[in-house]
Amino acid sequence: MIGIGEYRVGSFPMMTIGLGSCIGLTLYDDSLKVGAMVHIMLPESAGRTDRPGKYADTAVPTIIKELNAMGCKNRSLVAKMAGGAAMFEYFGANLNIGERNAIKVRALLEEHHIHIAKEDVGGKVGRSVTFLPANNGKFSIRRADGTTAEL
Amino acid sequence: MKLTSVQSDAIQELGNIGAAHAATTLSQMLGSTVEMSVPAIKAIDIAELGSYMGEESAAMVAFELQGDIPHGGYIVFYISRESAIRLTNTMLGLTDMNRAMNEMDESALLEVGNIMVSAFLDATAELLGFIMLPSPPALSIDMAHAAMSSLISQMPEEIDEILLFSTELVCEEHKIDSDIIMLPEPTTLAKIVELMENMMKGI
Repeated sequence: MIGIGEYRVGSFPMMTIGLGSCIGLTLYDDSLKVGAMVHIMLPESAGRTDRPGKYADTAVPTIIKELNAMGCKNRSLVAKMAGGAAMFEYFGANLNIGERNAIKVRALLEEHHIHIAKEDVGGKVGRSVTFLPANNGKFSIRRADGTTAEL
Repeated sequence: MKLTSVQSDAIQELGNIGAAHAATTLSQMLGSTVEMSVPAIKAIDIAELGSYMGEESAAMVAFELQGDIPHGGYIVFYISRESAIRLTNTMLGLTDMNRAMNEMDESALLEVGNIMVSAFLDATAELLGFIMLPSPPALSIDMAHAAMSSLISQMPEEIDEILLFSTELVCEEHKIDSDIIMLPEPTTLAKIVELMENMMKGI
């Protein structure tokens, strides 16, 4: 179970629950069957380094670096992401953190030449994600009403 | 900020007074007795929020704390989805538990949240002489963790650990279980602690 601001790298099953405005991002290398998952809370770290998984601008380079160390090439990595919702309408006006998170993650992935295969982002809905690197990088989403979807 | 036991006691007392007023209004709306718990104070690392609030469906009516401190944190009326349906059924004279929630439920929940949180904050303002006004309410009926983490992301001061004060309000007759949860940001918390300490010293 990956909490807010945490990440894992490897081939074991990974899960994160209750994404609201946060983003659940996975990178997966099909040739090595390894991947990484991170639960990103905010777009910008503003120089903070103690919790790299918490911010998009530190999380993306951190998991790429760890995957590179395991032998993954950026061009063989495929990204998927979910979350980035606006759970409360009223507060959404000038503080759409979910949307800002998603925009930041997309820009960073592009910078590192990593393709986003699929995403399920935005809306007013919470999501939980299960990621199985050993099982072809299977990425499943569960919503509060019990419906599931595979990206 | 770390609280001493005296400071925790002070905040519990404040929660007690606020929640007692909120419980009275809920009791009047339901026409039934409402019991309240001793307020709990929890310090939770954001990475561990999942062990406190998970995937369960809940209705949350959230208010930003405004007034003397403009972005003072949040206060939330939290009620599990099942209890929320029992609550609106009781208010609207319905009995079907296995129904989808609609706009009528949403406006009823917003209204209940509004009345209870206003009662809570009126009582604390009177006690402390420190005004915390609720913003207009916002409602989420979804995964509890998704809604709560979104509120924490919006806190003006960036934090890795949240302090959360919650008081449980239970109506046995209608099997309704709800909580009032306050997430003060550090400036608000420091102010509340200071005022409560002064009061207890008799200043």
